[in-house]
Amino acid sequence: MGRLITSVHKEFLILIRDKAGLAILFLMPMFLIFVMTLIQDNTFRELDETQINILFLDLDGDSLGVGIEKGLKSSGFFAVTTKKENAELNQENMNRLVAEGKFQIGIVVAAGATETIRNKARSVIELAFSDEDFSDESKHGLKEPGKIIVYFDPVIKNSYKQTVMMALQNFTNNVESKINFQYFTDEISNQLSVENKLMFDSEGGVSIEEQYATDKLTETLPNSVQHNVPAWAVFAMFFIIIPLTGNIIKERDSGSVLRLKLIPGSYLVSMMAKVSLYIVVCLIQFVLMLIVGMYILPMFGSPVLSLGSHKIALASMALAVALAAAGYGVMLGTIAGTHDQAASFGAVSVIILAALGGIWVPVFIMPGIMQTISMFSPLNWGLEGFYELFLRGGGFLDILSHIGLLVIFSIVMILIAYQYQRIKRI
Amino acid sequence: MPPKPIIRIENLTKTYRGSEIPALNNISLSVPKNEIFGLLGPNGAGKTTTISILCGFLRKDFGIVEINGLSIEKESNEIKKIIGLVPQEIALYETLTPIENLRFFGKMYGLEKDRLKRRTDECLSLMGLDKSRNKLIKTFSGGMKRRLNLIAGILHEPKILFLDEPTVGVDVQSRNVILEHLKELNKKGTTIIYTSHYMEEAEQFCSSIAIIDSGEIIVNGNPAELISKNQGCTSLETLYLLLTGRKLRDN
Repeated sequence: MGRLITSVHKEFLILIRDKAGLAILFLMPMFLIFVMTLIQDNTFRELDETQINILFLDLDGDSLGVGIEKGLKSSGFFAVTTKKENAELNQENMNRLVAEGKFQIGIVVAAGATETIRNKARSVIELAFSDEDFSDESKHGLKEPGKIIVYFDPVIKNSYKQTVMMALQNFTNNVESKINFQYFTDEISNQLSVENKLMFDSEGGVSIEEQYATDKLTETLPNSVQHNVPAWAVFAMFFIIIPLTGNIIKERDSGSVLRLKLIPGSYLVSMMAKVSLYIVVCLIQFVLMLIVGMYILPMFGSPVLSLGSHKIALASMALAVALAAAGYGVMLGTIAGTHDQAASFGAVSVIILAALGGIWVPVFIMPGIMQTISMFSPLNWGLEGFYELFLRGGGFLDILSHIGLLVIFSIVMILIAYQYQRIKRI
Repeated sequence: MPPKPIIRIENLTKTYRGSEIPALNNISLSVPKNEIFGLLGPNGAGKTTTISILCGFLRKDFGIVEINGLSIEKESNEIKKIIGLVPQEIALYETLTPIENLRFFGKMYGLEKDRLKRRTDECLSLMGLDKSRNKLIKTFSGGMKRRLNLIAGILHEPKILFLDEPTVGVDVQSRNVILEHLKELNKKGTTIIYTSHYMEEAEQFCSSIAIIDSGEIIVNGNPAELISKNQGCTSLETLYLLLTGRKLRDN
């Protein structure tokens, strides 16, 4: 134990003497969390909180055009620019304005679109109350459907595109239903010779209630910060492999490792000292990243990070991730031949493990084979453990399997490193 | 009956993976206690391989290696307790001070607090580094680093000290201090195994030498006796060139 404390003290002195390295070690993860969370904020919020810039040209000037404009504006998802705000807006330059990238979407409601709907409704009602064959669709009177043209910026994400198309379909159906309802009730009133007192109810008879599925009592609401901070924290913690491998390789290149190997049993102690110190570094990084989520990001409009009620479970999870990251770093530093090798392989391998682990893209949308592979990424175990605590309201028992996997991973890494240096000898 | 050697090497052979030529080819050596033994030879002759096997950094292929009667394979931990190493590299932590480095290595060797303090003060003073004990090593000159490198290897007072070119690249004053201190250590009972390319230094410093080339021991004995046995040789350097040739050695 005395030797371990001596080695940890030595590693600590080396670490604190490198002021620039220290700043990078603690400030970079904070900056990473800050930047990535703010950038990804929009992706996670999607259309709940982000507005899409839409150009809207109403050549119809009737119920459909007015209804769509009203619907787009009242939804809160879209920032709508009409001819009122942009005088140069017309059908000819709509394509150019969207292509320039200032607007993501352009919508043109063609002239006479509402009239076409009315004609169709009228002919269908007339047909329904006549003696003619109603099943013959050619007699429904719709020769040319009313047209809405939508221009998309080629860089727009497919999810945004789908959302706009669904919203347009919804607004159009609403207007069509209202017109059909009006013609139908008018015709019935006419047939019965009574006054039409029926009003169209756009709310419908079914309400949709949104709830997050969880079998635990939790006060945590899923939001962009709850998703992003743990994800990027896991990623940043694994990046301690770069200074850690550098430390190991520098020690080896300087020849100090020869002295350590000459002292009975001291090499394993030295290895464990590095693991211990870098676990502490990781935990400090983690706390700093939580502080960013709790106090700094809210200053820039993000929700406040909630740590949930299981603080011991959270600390255990962070400790397990730190252990895995330090173990991976020791293994890599021992096996890598040069610092360049370790730094480039280390950085790329963490990025790959992060991608596989679901930090860039959620695992559930990956192809089947990648979903299977992702189960072997330690970053996935860390991420899922944190999600259990940050989003699902889970406790210590819920993260036990994730902690177990991370601890086993770390032990395996340290054993590989120890065996490798024993076989390699020098 | 001659005294038991502190180092016994018999038929030692080592071939590195991927090489067809053995780095050590069936060498046998015996170093008596209290000797200053010089292992001399051109680059790639097998000096570092021999020291690496003796220190337990490399596995041998064949042969017997014993240190103080202990088997290098079976009793390596016991051997490690009685040997010290001064590698050619400055094997120290440059961002620490001399006192921090020495405290670290001393504690790792299990030196008790009082003994560690005594040894640290003693060695720093002898090597003229007392006033620089709290300065970072990265600010030191080459000579200062070499002297401290030596202290780190002898702090725990080993019975056998391996020195791999301990005076390379240092000024005359530092070299003199290092060699004088090594002689003092030897007088107190430390056996010294030393490699160098400085033949004049080896001739004055070593009580016995072995010249190794292409993994084989060419000659072995007292430097003065070896010089006198070979006609036309006036120094260890002329003997060395006679035995190893004048052809350049790159590895």
